[in-house]
Amino acid sequence: MNPSRDEHRHGSPSAARFDLVETRDEDLIVMVQDGNRKAFDELAARYKNRLFSFILRMVKEPVLAEELTQETLIRVYIHAGKYREIAKFSTWVFTIATNLVRNKMRQRSRRPQLLSLNPAPADDEIPLDPADPVADPSEEIQRRELALVINEATAAIPEKYRIPFLLREVEQLSYEEIQQVTGLKLGTVRSRINRARNRFRQLIKPLLKDETLLAELEMIEARVAEQKDNPS
Amino acid sequence: MNMRCTKARRYLSQAMDEQLPPAVTRQLDEHLDACRECRDFREDLALGRRLLGATEPSLSGNFDWRLQLKLNQALQKAAGETAYPWLEEKPRGRGWAGNFTTAAAFGLAAVLALAMFIGPQGRVMPDDAGRYAGFETSRQVAGGVSDRLPLNRGALAPLSAPRGIQRSVSGSFGLGDFSPNAAFVLDSGWSGNHLKDLATIQELKLRNQRLNNQLYQYQQQISILRRQLDRPDSNGLDLGR
Repeated sequence: MNPSRDEHRHGSPSAARFDLVETRDEDLIVMVQDGNRKAFDELAARYKNRLFSFILRMVKEPVLAEELTQETLIRVYIHAGKYREIAKFSTWVFTIATNLVRNKMRQRSRRPQLLSLNPAPADDEIPLDPADPVADPSEEIQRRELALVINEATAAIPEKYRIPFLLREVEQLSYEEIQQVTGLKLGTVRSRINRARNRFRQLIKPLLKDETLLAELEMIEARVAEQKDNPS
Repeated sequence: MNMRCTKARRYLSQAMDEQLPPAVTRQLDEHLDACRECRDFREDLALGRRLLGATEPSLSGNFDWRLQLKLNQALQKAAGETAYPWLEEKPRGRGWAGNFTTAAAFGLAAVLALAMFIGPQGRVMPDDAGRYAGFETSRQVAGGVSDRLPLNRGALAPLSAPRGIQRSVSGSFGLGDFSPNAAFVLDSGWSGNHLKDLATIQELKLRNQRLNNQLYQYQQQISILRRQLDRPDSNGLDLGR
């Protein structure tokens, strides 16, 4: 399905059967350029988790990661007109996210936070995390503990290696897309991913021999697969 | 086993992403068949990938409405900036370059103002009756807008001229060709009275504000019409004809 811009504007009969869920990202952003808010909602639904996952592993703080995810999506809406289909939409979105994350990290390195002086976040700043009624609480706790360890290990990878590494391992962008997002040469992308993987392996090596962890991992993977098969 | 372990491990990363040419892949496979450590290394890398995949964080439940809220705020802010450009926040920390530019702009403006007012004012001569004809009508300048203030004392002779002489400068701050409607024309100019001129400036600002509001409303209407056109069941616009 590749509707033209004119079809959206002038509402041809074929547009009546238009189904946003089946529409390509690149067509959705063209609709957003014409002010279609539903198209934006669809894009946000597709990318919010991916962006959050990437950003959280960069900045480590869930509240900040959510803010930056929102900021990325807002920029997508406001600057939709700047998107040109010379690159994939995902590349464009992750370029925005990467730049925001870099800026934030630069700011933080200039002004290191003093935890004791920071005010507690206001109530409306703390994201509510409602309990998943389906999940087994003990399993959820295990998953969270594991996630904490993995996030710590990821955060210990130097930033310049971590960005291409996460874009590859978590977002599964191709090397060429990572090259576009980061502005690095292809060889540099390749070598940085390789270095990050080696570093990550060193960091999680103590975990890798743990039989319980492997059993947990298999359980989590089975649950994720089940959820994908039965989203309800 | 021709390949060294260091090289094999570098290739392993690329092999995970299917980036290796077939010939190198074959060499790597040969190496892996013979090297237990590199096989373990490969398993570790694969396990690391699985761990990352299994521990994907999840967003909080209120993410969506917070996003909508922030988006609406951002859009309102953007719309407000369009409607009231003078309310835009001043950029902070412009440094010496910014200050220099401002100072230079003020200087240039002052020189231009002097050049404009001193020159023509100096040529105003009284008529036989001692009246200054230029002030009786209006100081029309090119384009029909007279907004010049008599700055030098010599040119301010009408201040001491007989009371019957109207000193007001009857230039108009209208929209010129853009205004189809005479109500838009502000029929006043600089009076020479400080307070009165300030009031004029204030009124001009208000008019500007109203025009910007109108512009914003038109923009909104355009966006509504565009949305109507975007609707799948739209058959064009009903223009009420």
